[in-house]
Amino acid sequence: MVQFHEHIITDLLDDPGGGLVVLSSGLALPKLIASLLLLHHPSQGTLLLLSPSPSVKSSILSALQLQTPNPNPNPQIFPSEISSDLPSHHRLSLYSSGAAFFVTARILIVDLLTSRLPPSAIAGILLLNAHSLSDTATEAFIVRILRSSNPSLYVRAFSDKPHAMIAGFAKAERILKCLYLRKLHLWPRFQVYVSQDLERDPPEVVDIRVSMSAHMRAIQKAVIEVMDACLKEIRKTNKVDVEDLTVENGLFKSFDEIVRRQLDPIWHTLGKKTKQLVSDLKTLRKLLDYLVRYDAVTYLKYLDSLRASENFRSVWIFAESSYKIFECAKKRVYHFGRLEVGKLVGKSRSATTKKRKLDETNKVKEDSLPPTSVVLEEVLEEAPKWKVLREVLEEIAEEREKQALPRVEPVVDGEEDDSGIVLVACKDERSCMQLEDCITKGPHKVMREEWEKYLLSKIELRVLPKHNKKKAKDPKGFGILDGVIPIKSGQKAEASTISKQEHDALLAAAAEISKHGKKDVVVGDDPQPSAESGGRAKGRGKGTCRKTSGCVPVSVERHSTSVNEAATNDKPEMLASENGGQRNETNPVVGDIFHEREPKVASLDKVILRKHCQEGDATSLKNAKQLPPVHFYALESNQHILDILKPSTIIVYHPDMAFVREIEIYKAENPNKKLKVYFLFYEDSTEVQKFDSSIRRENRAFESLIRQKSLMIIPVDQDGRCLGPSSSLDPQPITSQNSITRKAGGRKEAEKEIQVIVDMREFMSSLPNVLHQKGMRIIPVTLEVGDYILSPLICVERKSIQDLFGSFASGRLYHQVETMARYYRIPVLLIEFSQDKSFSFQSASDIGDDVTPNSILSKLSLLVIHFPRLRIVWSRSLYATAEIFASLKSNQDEPDEAKAIRVGVPSEEGIVENDVRAENYNTSAVEFLRRLPGVTDSNYRTIMDGCESLSELALLPVEKLAELMGGQKAAKTLRDFLDAKYPTLL
Amino acid sequence: STSQVAHNRNAILVSHRQKGNPLLKHIRNVRWAFADVVCDYLLGQSTCALYLSLRYHLLHPDYLYYRIRELQKNFKLRVVLCHVDVEDVVKPLLEVTKTALLHDCTLLCAWSLEECGRYLETIKVYENKPADIIQGQMDTDYLSRLTHALTTVRHVNKTDVVTLGSTFGSLSHIMDASMEDLARCPGIGERKVKRLYDTFHEPFKRVV
Repeated sequence: MVQFHEHIITDLLDDPGGGLVVLSSGLALPKLIASLLLLHHPSQGTLLLLSPSPSVKSSILSALQLQTPNPNPNPQIFPSEISSDLPSHHRLSLYSSGAAFFVTARILIVDLLTSRLPPSAIAGILLLNAHSLSDTATEAFIVRILRSSNPSLYVRAFSDKPHAMIAGFAKAERILKCLYLRKLHLWPRFQVYVSQDLERDPPEVVDIRVSMSAHMRAIQKAVIEVMDACLKEIRKTNKVDVEDLTVENGLFKSFDEIVRRQLDPIWHTLGKKTKQLVSDLKTLRKLLDYLVRYDAVTYLKYLDSLRASENFRSVWIFAESSYKIFECAKKRVYHFGRLEVGKLVGKSRSATTKKRKLDETNKVKEDSLPPTSVVLEEVLEEAPKWKVLREVLEEIAEEREKQALPRVEPVVDGEEDDSGIVLVACKDERSCMQLEDCITKGPHKVMREEWEKYLLSKIELRVLPKHNKKKAKDPKGFGILDGVIPIKSGQKAEASTISKQEHDALLAAAAEISKHGKKDVVVGDDPQPSAESGGRAKGRGKGTCRKTSGCVPVSVERHSTSVNEAATNDKPEMLASENGGQRNETNPVVGDIFHEREPKVASLDKVILRKHCQEGDATSLKNAKQLPPVHFYALESNQHILDILKPSTIIVYHPDMAFVREIEIYKAENPNKKLKVYFLFYEDSTEVQKFDSSIRRENRAFESLIRQKSLMIIPVDQDGRCLGPSSSLDPQPITSQNSITRKAGGRKEAEKEIQVIVDMREFMSSLPNVLHQKGMRIIPVTLEVGDYILSPLICVERKSIQDLFGSFASGRLYHQVETMARYYRIPVLLIEFSQDKSFSFQSASDIGDDVTPNSILSKLSLLVIHFPRLRIVWSRSLYATAEIFASLKSNQDEPDEAKAIRVGVPSEEGIVENDVRAENYNTSAVEFLRRLPGVTDSNYRTIMDGCESLSELALLPVEKLAELMGGQKAAKTLRDFLDAKYPTLL
Repeated sequence: STSQVAHNRNAILVSHRQKGNPLLKHIRNVRWAFADVVCDYLLGQSTCALYLSLRYHLLHPDYLYYRIRELQKNFKLRVVLCHVDVEDVVKPLLEVTKTALLHDCTLLCAWSLEECGRYLETIKVYENKPADIIQGQMDTDYLSRLTHALTTVRHVNKTDVVTLGSTFGSLSHIMDASMEDLARCPGIGERKVKRLYDTFHEPFKRVV
């Protein structure tokens, strides 16, 4: 444990009521929690850790493991999980056991409301995501119930996301109030104790700036340009505060929140275009991020998917600069041109570069290629960092050797526990795997594999009908007839047609080459008029045969089996050996022209290096230099890798602020250890920018929190029962009801308690909380029909505005209303606007002149016409809803819990146990199942009875399906859908 | 006068009480005519609407109740069209909501006269329209269905569907993919991988 952690804990323990701790990210919050858990003793009562994410959970556990002496005397300190799988009586005994538990807010609130959990048994609560709390959050609800019957309970809330603590007005203050806390403890990185601890003996740092390749830079520039353009568009809408909308902010995930927070109140009034812009910005941010994370081929693949999925709506794809993104991304991978008897016809747009480049290729190839041909050259640009990574590793190895030689003895005592492992930290699991491959197999091989995979995936797929349509527009055989693709704007489709051809040809080549360990491919193509004509699956098949001129047909269904066959057949025609030889000369030249703007040496180096090292690579890997043992670590996985591996050298491949802090803490905890840290940054990239501004941003957040803390007004009443969260907002309805709130908060005097039956799933929302504040007794059950049952007659389906729009579109609302109307006398649709958003669907000017089916008014009217018995309640806010509920219930009977549960449940399911049904199902799997073709409301239950999981379903033969689904036809529909070949979209 | 009847069947019949209501200016997509009707607007054989301005309601809190009582049991669908024209809506709207709900009326709120007019028009125009536009019939082509199914998994978006599809080739392969294979797809991060994998591999029914 680092010293400042002790300070934090002492400060926190000072106040028996608890406190809110905000610390910089990466300052080992899990370790802090683990220390707190060690201080817990069962005699104090049960300790609950509320809603930790799985990763936080596991890091707390591993931190605990590290902190406890080895034969652990007391296994109880390892908190176990209270999940919905446990039967209720079991949960009860756990709650009163005095141990520590992880529990989600949803389970806890339900158990509290159903009195499965005696509040007096709880010693305290640890909240790990304080920044996500609000007045109406379930956590606040829990604390209120617990506090009111157990005032001695402590609540310790934590957050290591300071920037999230300042989102919104006086957020920190409101969080304190809703948890009935008075103390805010701030522990920024620049706090005196923290910086003392961490800077006493800092690790040695080497900062390496890698320059990006010209194409990468071009892509980055283009993305930023497009981003800027999108931002300008958004500003034009005049609907957002311009100040926060900068490209710098745009680099962060939280940017979406900024925009959404501003736009949410008016979200449903926004035009399609604005909404699209918001999502485009998100896409663009990802593009920037992936640019430095993915290799060239994967990046291109991602772009392809993007283009396929976004084609129609998005604004950015059609922006001027976006074109450059696609073009450069492609150029990083391959390069495609056409030759026609000495004359050049390329399909790339910039005529000059293309011409030059092709001239070069032409010279070299002329003799060996058929007169008219399609040339596809691989560029397969490697990520510049790969090479640097390798160099760094070699350097480390060298250094170690040097050190090891002269002084054998000192090493032993100084670095006894040194595992010698070099830790490479990168962002995600994927990069880990890839880098590992790079080191073991050599970067070229990795690129090659990615490239082959890319090609295979392109070719294996059938052409989508849609695609055919596109092509049908062109006269048959048109493209090839003159060998030119003159269409300027529509060329995308056209271009991909062409590339598909080459890919077709390349498949065979790629397969062969991968088999023989060759590296380069040239495919001669001798297109004839008829070649292009189809463009359909069949046509392609024919095309391939022709291309390899005389080779045995590489047929359409070549997916797996025929590859090898084709490969061998192709071999003689491929001129593989010659071409391979040529290529070694050709590519560097082409590359050079390509990388015009790049420093010459670098580009040549790179290309040559790649070309030459088919064998060189392999040998250099084996005998050139011994690399130190390397461990790759994905930052996403959030493990306590540093404490487990105890590395003495760390290479930060993808810089991340939190991880830097973790390293600092690791160093501070092991002051005797020598630690060297390498940072790999791309020069002048958004990566650097993002890293720097993440630090700035956090500092700003803390400064603002410090200011807020000095101005905060926190009620002195520690129990907080009089000055609860209710007084801080929405005064008028609540204050008048305060007396009731108090009583219900205590839940002691229940003379005439009004009850509401609430569906379990509704505890995601805040309404149950507010209803409870209002003095209603909440009975949580699983409802098949409706969300809230107010009386034996009244059943309410609640829809927030966004839900309303969404569930009209999906047809869900229609279905829900239909079942409500079947089982209840008064089915009610509650349309709930939110407090901070406008109270209307749209402004008068947006209504338009005609009755259109897409308008929300039309949909609502139609619903009303079809369900004349449906009642609609329009509520201004959560609080208004609570009042409406109270008044609707005023002269109605109380609802019957047992009956409500049974409503709408098919009778064959038999007795419904009085327990949590929804929680016993894998809900997303069930929902997924129900959306598959052939699956209906009447057969999905039997399917679930007959097979375990979706992955099992995927393998069931059609006969078995027919048995489960009660029909051959449905079974066939489903089976066909499952097995249908995914169509290519490009 | 049969033509008169036919004529009236396609028009909104407006009570003489509504004379001078500026709302009438905004009924433009449907013909309307004054007539002796007990409701304010007769929108179909058994569909009627009462118009209520919240401001008026504040002055005459009993008005709505009396009007509803007049309607008796003659209509299947009785709409209270509430024009929200005051700032402080919570209390008056609560009263109107309660009255409408307890007396078998469907409350529709509108925030402008245009919107009020549009509701009346729409109900009239859609008098005999089937409900399919709100029944969620979606596109039946392969990709839409695939997207529809895969997007049940939280945070999976359209791009991911394309990525998954083109990587694995068919839905059954996606459903049977290993975590590692899923993780190799560009754009699919750790959380999505886990969500997808759990959806496919966790049993439908958890063992209790």
